[in-house]
Amino acid sequence: MSRNDSLETMNSVSPFWNGLFNILFTIYSIVCIVPLLLVVGVSFSDEKSIITGGYNFIPKVFSLEAYKWVFKSGDTIVRAYGLSIMITIVGTLCSVAIISMFSYVISRKDFKYRNVFSFIVFFTMILNGGMVPWYMVYTNLLHINNTLLAYIVPSLVNAWYVMIMRTFFQTNVPDSIIESARIDGAGEFRTFLKIVMPLAKPGLATIALFQTLGFWNEWYLPLMLIEDSKLYNLQYILYKTLNAIQYLSQASNVSGGTAEILAKLPSETARMAMCVLAIGPIILAYPFFQKYFIKGLTVGAVKG
Amino acid sequence: MYKAKKLISLFLVIGMAITMVAGCGSKDNAATSSVAATSSVVATSSVAAETTKALDPVELKWYVIGNGQPKDMDAVLGKVNEWLQPKINATLKLNVFTWGDDYEQKMGAKVASGEEYDIAFTANWALNYLQNAPKGAFVDLTPMLDQYAPKTKALLGDKVIKGASINGKLFAIPTNKEMAHNWGFLINKDMAAKYAIDVTTIKKFDDIEPYLKIIKEKEGANGVEPFQSVVGESAYRLLDFEKMVDDNVPGAIYGDGRDTKVVNDFDTPEAKALFTTLNKWSKAGYIRKDADTITDFSSNRKAGKVFSAMASLKPGKDAEESVSSGINWVQVDLTPARATTREMTGSMQAISTSSKNPERALMFLELFNTEPELCNIINYGIEGTHYKKINDTTIEITQAGKDGYAPGTQWMFGNQFNTYLYSTEDPKKWEKFKTYNDSSVASPIIGFTFDTESVKTKVAALTGIKKQFMPGLETGKADPAVALPKFTEKLKAAGLDEVIVEMQKQVDTFLATK
Amino acid sequence: MRITPAALEKVALSPKTNKKKSGFLKEVSKNRVLFIMMLPALVVLFLNNYLPMAGILIAFKNFKFFGRNFFENFYKSDWVGLQNFEFFTSTPDAFMVTRNTLAYNLAFIVIGLVVAVFFAVILNEVRNKYLSKFYQASMFLPYFMSWIVVSYLVFALLSEEQGFVNKNLLPAFGISIDSLPAWYGDPAKWPVILTAVNMWKFTGYNCVVYVAAIAGIDQEYYEAATVDGATKFQQIRNITLPLLTPLMIILTLLAVGRVFYSDFGLFFSVTRNVGALYDTTLVIDTFVYNALRNMNDVGMASAAGLYQSLCGFVLVLTSNLIVRKIDPDKALF
Repeated sequence: MSRNDSLETMNSVSPFWNGLFNILFTIYSIVCIVPLLLVVGVSFSDEKSIITGGYNFIPKVFSLEAYKWVFKSGDTIVRAYGLSIMITIVGTLCSVAIISMFSYVISRKDFKYRNVFSFIVFFTMILNGGMVPWYMVYTNLLHINNTLLAYIVPSLVNAWYVMIMRTFFQTNVPDSIIESARIDGAGEFRTFLKIVMPLAKPGLATIALFQTLGFWNEWYLPLMLIEDSKLYNLQYILYKTLNAIQYLSQASNVSGGTAEILAKLPSETARMAMCVLAIGPIILAYPFFQKYFIKGLTVGAVKG
Repeated sequence: MYKAKKLISLFLVIGMAITMVAGCGSKDNAATSSVAATSSVVATSSVAAETTKALDPVELKWYVIGNGQPKDMDAVLGKVNEWLQPKINATLKLNVFTWGDDYEQKMGAKVASGEEYDIAFTANWALNYLQNAPKGAFVDLTPMLDQYAPKTKALLGDKVIKGASINGKLFAIPTNKEMAHNWGFLINKDMAAKYAIDVTTIKKFDDIEPYLKIIKEKEGANGVEPFQSVVGESAYRLLDFEKMVDDNVPGAIYGDGRDTKVVNDFDTPEAKALFTTLNKWSKAGYIRKDADTITDFSSNRKAGKVFSAMASLKPGKDAEESVSSGINWVQVDLTPARATTREMTGSMQAISTSSKNPERALMFLELFNTEPELCNIINYGIEGTHYKKINDTTIEITQAGKDGYAPGTQWMFGNQFNTYLYSTEDPKKWEKFKTYNDSSVASPIIGFTFDTESVKTKVAALTGIKKQFMPGLETGKADPAVALPKFTEKLKAAGLDEVIVEMQKQVDTFLATK
Repeated sequence: MRITPAALEKVALSPKTNKKKSGFLKEVSKNRVLFIMMLPALVVLFLNNYLPMAGILIAFKNFKFFGRNFFENFYKSDWVGLQNFEFFTSTPDAFMVTRNTLAYNLAFIVIGLVVAVFFAVILNEVRNKYLSKFYQASMFLPYFMSWIVVSYLVFALLSEEQGFVNKNLLPAFGISIDSLPAWYGDPAKWPVILTAVNMWKFTGYNCVVYVAAIAGIDQEYYEAATVDGATKFQQIRNITLPLLTPLMIILTLLAVGRVFYSDFGLFFSVTRNVGALYDTTLVIDTFVYNALRNMNDVGMASAAGLYQSLCGFVLVLTSNLIVRKIDPDKALF
């Protein structure tokens, strides 16, 4: 261990370069974070003060009106939160399992048809049949529209991630390890589960992070496939509300009841409040994935 | 196994479909004319069958646009069905989708995939009636009206039915509401009073200019826009062209009925004069510089930072706008009330070609348009829960109503003249609407719909070009002397002349057969 | 049947027999487990991607509605050959739109690759691991923001009347009010703005892939190099970058396949679809949207999609061929 430590210190960039890198990243981090603070600041502001004073980081007049407006539907948002979390967890687990099994097989140099199957995956990125036939597969053939499966099945396999995982297996899992596992008498699946998967942890964490984001941010699938308002996920409710705000604030020919809604609508701040609500949980989940990217932690653990 | 079988059968079907189509592609050219024929045959044959036997119980699936599914929809539908079932043995399943994409995407997929449903909201601005109906997405109701909806037919009257028809065929039932429009200013009442501006002196568009100057000088520093020019709802509307396709495609006749010659309305002397005025105003600072990029214009109105704006008017528009923005407005009518296809097809209910029970759906729409009780349940929910009656015609929405059932889309649901009024509204609203409707002048080509079929790829190519030039011109940012020739040149390159010739041909044919 | 490891091993190790079977079936029986592992993904791909591909035929139809199901509608609609593609070829903007789409995508691919790899490599060299973790997390933040929010932020900065830049920043440097730039009126500024916004949103995301790839590199390479006295920069050049090359190639090839598609949110929301900027901001996706949004024409929409697919397909096959010529191991297929 002490040998490693000293090597680690020896094998670092000079303090000058380290300082330079730190300055560079600090500036870039500020560029990235500042707009988010602006979003949070606006979401806690009073609507009128935004219209008269413009966007500001610190609310001139503090107000929870936007959040009250978003939550006025009561249990709907809470249920949607629950559904989103469930869909994200189940979806990510299934999808990572399916993608990793597939990409492991096509990464094996001794697998004769690896190029054929790579192409089968890749081709789906290039050509798609359009929305209508796709819609019919789910409504007329599988009949999973209006169920929670409609959130998961269409996103299970993603050609990008298959290709990334394949490259991961190719570069990080030496053929010799698979070969020696075979000589030791381990079966294919056991080798995959016990030896290959642990080696691919950084890759798996990356795919899992991307898929978590994908499932969490999904609004197109419910837009097409879900009608029952009890099955709406969070993103879709936000998307619909955003759309409605945009529509309502543009509509000039609506009468009666809509006018009243329009007068009370905190449109600028509600938009931002919804963004905060949508990205909050994901930001909380991020450190969990990030753990796996840190050098030494994963690789070191595997090497024991 | 079950799924595998279905998969195999689906494959077979696809395979068959492909081979059959490939086999006889060329002899299918009669299909165009058979669109409407097919649907009307279906309708009439089942009409005969229907009357001879007792009605089977059916469920009617109905999709409309709005603020999303209200919380208490199930309870309200329970009430509706209690009323409806004894009458026509049907139960209703109403689904409210959200404005914009939500409705367009969901309904677009349903229509394109031939999914079964019964009734859908359609209009010239949602689930495009003028495009979908001629393609056969909706049932032709003309032959069914006398048997299943005679009262509705009488109620709407010839003018409206003709105006909503496409080539003499009615594919959807219009909502009975205001059926005309006019254009004019909305002016901030308090600000006008502050500077002693007498709005009655404004008779035509240019008359407002001296007042804009006053506002610019006195209130400009406070960020007030003297004249708010909104993309799509700008002063260009005052010219009131009767468009052939929609606002995005060039080609129109003059709305005042002087003749029936189709022109490129963007490049007429009137349009050029107007753009020049706007350009002058923009340079003088009466119109904000980035007006062509603003999509949310209501926030400045709400903040009291707008002095005047252009608006589509009807009786009581200023009162409505005052409620919605919290600012006192007064309206100045500039153009006379005019009845065009735009209003007739502004809000309608269509019956889907994929419906198994088109007759029952129409029977429901008949009741919906003629029975105040049904219409009011769907519009306002359950009495005592969602609203309180103040007197026979006026109601007040309760808190439970605001939270649980307040679609707020009376202009979409049935017969507006049968519905209750809010206690805040003018009790004479419906009478005023009737007078307004009666006073309106009908366009000379009312009932005409341009069939884009023969030039549809050209129309698609023309559609996008407007977006590049019009926002600049109608907000005064672009100099018409420079932008207008470029605009016209590009339109011509995309096939403008050919499309105009086709439009003229169809208008002439329409007028000849009228 | 329960598959025991021992049974699997037998399958895997069984000598090549059964010469009668064709190559593929033999492979299936030899590598049964591998095929079973691929099965779930293949089923999903078949249902979600391959089955709907039959739908490209719609692009050659004048699609109308006749009855109660899709197949009847499809069957009765007329074949119209390439007519549905005409709206794209007959427009005077076809060249401009294609040029914009390609130029932006190529810029995004090249700059995106360089920046992401550069950041990943130097992030790996930051000594304080907590700081490096923080930088990584904050770089990732923009990715969480939807395009709608991003478009509001850009507008808050660049709006000509109330924007931060024109209202506060530039006047502070003594620039007079008359010479303030009209951001939303000048097409020449937008290639830079859009590229910057795109980089801002995606650099963190792209960076994560490369950071993970670097984390997967065996430490022994570096240890050996250090013992041999290699400097840090030599290590980056001779160990890190070569080991990242396969991933760079694969991600670039994948992106090349999609150069005819563009991010609708970026080109539609962030530009606010302002017509005055079209010369440099209109791309195929927004052009198609503008042309077809009111038409509800399934045929023309399919045609537009097919055109993008086919162009991308040709490009990818070509570039894959080139990669294969140079290094067969690194080709996509």
